[in-house]
Amino acid sequence: MRSKLYLWILWAAILVILILFPHVVGIYYTNVVVLFSIFSLYAITLNLLLGYTGLLSFGHALFFGGGAYATAIALTHIPGLPLIPAVLIGGLTAVVLALITSPLLVRVSGTAFAMLTLAFGQLMYVICLKFRNITGGEDGVGGFPIPPFTIPGVVSIDMTNPTNYYYFALIVVGLSILVIWFFTKTPFGQIIIGVRDNAQRVSYMGFKVPHTKALVFIISGGFAGIAGACYALLQNLVSTDGVLVIYMSFLPIMMAFIGGIGSFFGPICGAAILTILDELITMYTERVELVTGLVFILVVMFVPAGFTGLLASIKEKLFIKSSDQGIMEQAS
Amino acid sequence: MDSTIAMYVAQFINGMAYGMLLFLVASGLTLIFGMMGILNIAHASFFMLSAYFCHTFLELTGSFWLALLLAPVVAAFFGILCERFLLRKIHAFGHIPELLITVGISLVILEGVKLFWGTEPFLVATPKTLQGFIWISDLKYPIYRVFIVGFAFFILGLMALVLYKTRLGMVVRAAVSDADMVNALGINVPLVFMLVFGIGTWLAGLAGVIITPILTVFPGMADQIGMDAFVVVVTGGFGSLIGAFIVSLCIGELNSFGIQFIPKLAPVLMFTFMAVVLAFKPTGFFGERE
Repeated sequence: MRSKLYLWILWAAILVILILFPHVVGIYYTNVVVLFSIFSLYAITLNLLLGYTGLLSFGHALFFGGGAYATAIALTHIPGLPLIPAVLIGGLTAVVLALITSPLLVRVSGTAFAMLTLAFGQLMYVICLKFRNITGGEDGVGGFPIPPFTIPGVVSIDMTNPTNYYYFALIVVGLSILVIWFFTKTPFGQIIIGVRDNAQRVSYMGFKVPHTKALVFIISGGFAGIAGACYALLQNLVSTDGVLVIYMSFLPIMMAFIGGIGSFFGPICGAAILTILDELITMYTERVELVTGLVFILVVMFVPAGFTGLLASIKEKLFIKSSDQGIMEQAS
Repeated sequence: MDSTIAMYVAQFINGMAYGMLLFLVASGLTLIFGMMGILNIAHASFFMLSAYFCHTFLELTGSFWLALLLAPVVAAFFGILCERFLLRKIHAFGHIPELLITVGISLVILEGVKLFWGTEPFLVATPKTLQGFIWISDLKYPIYRVFIVGFAFFILGLMALVLYKTRLGMVVRAAVSDADMVNALGINVPLVFMLVFGIGTWLAGLAGVIITPILTVFPGMADQIGMDAFVVVVTGGFGSLIGAFIVSLCIGELNSFGIQFIPKLAPVLMFTFMAVVLAFKPTGFFGERE
């Protein structure tokens, strides 16, 4: 009970900090936090595949970028498109992309799955590069109108104001993360962990493994698409090198892995660590990805459980806990 | 020979040249995969690294042949270092960390290249002896592309000779199918792994040098061929050299004729080909395992 109270206080404190944040620091850091929250959602959707279902996706930018492009293109061509439908279009496009690719992907696992997702991601990159009349090729889609958040007759909030957009993005990302969190707590969420640990057993229990994988893939992709849509609205520019390049697929993997793929909130820690690192490195050098890559190699070599795993093991050493608790329960 | 047939012949040789180059890269990738079970994401990065070394050696010595000799060896040396000090250390953690560390290596190589050589592209001149054209009947065709096909066939023959006629080749082939058994027979498998990794990166490095005169050297050059090589390995079947060879040539021709007839959809063709194959046989043409 006591620890529950501490937890509530911690959550309340985080909430207060998040609400006050844009008024305390400048616009620049407000946008950094928006970026961090978007990437947290993105990394969590990837971890739903990697950490929970045991599927390593190298092409997650397909959904992130697909969502970003869909939102950007929709806002360019449909005059007067409201904000929420624009974001939903991003998510739905990603769901459709997941629906199209899943029949092939659910049949394979392991490295073949990783390679196929990589191929699909690159395919999307190439398509967006070649069909210039729709996607603008290398220049991308930019300068589209950002609609205000409106409830007809009640309120209309300007989203080009960074502070307003900060609250909007935080709510969208927060709700999405909450939905995914509830999803992992449902019986179905337990089945996908079963798919990771012993797919054959899940199959014997009467669940169809390919269908299960496909559903996880669609949910993960859809929310990655929403993250992409928020990213498009934040940058007001979507380009192949910005959202579909292979680094954008590697980024959530690195975030999830550095934070710890064994826990639900690990990817958020990873996103925070990489975002802070990014800000620090840009002060000294332009080659951010060099340092990121080196850090990633070191983490994979020396802290394979990630940041949350490291915390858990330290906690276990300090306060000797029963060790039969799985890493999943500890962190969530 | 009328011009349509001439075009077909020219495109066919173009496709052949690219297919053979692709095979040089993909063969190393598939060997490494077959043996260690790792799909080396950084493989194409060594290809790029070698192209950059070639550029530097050319500036220093002016001899393309010396660069062809040295650059792949230096790239292979870096590959061996990665195997010895990174991959081997985490072999016990399982396949996902191994795969991820190659992602890290590829990022570091890419950014390292940008750091040392900058981001602007370099052009490498065709060596003097291979400049000019040959006439096939009345079709004028650059010698260099014919040289690529010949050279790749030469390396291929050399590799086949080593793999199928020597004791070392026997050990390598045995280790590809069952590393534990070979280890139990008293053969130093980690050493064989290191050697195969080195040879694999050397082959990719050779392709990297050979391709420089017909391609600009720039930081993104690994992406295209790396992607194609992955598709080759997946479609041909993991660990299968024969599969890699056949699919390399298919994709070379697909690319070449695709660019000629449907330029917009050319990159999509390769993926469609892969998707069709995998829809019927998820392990690829000659693959036994996933």
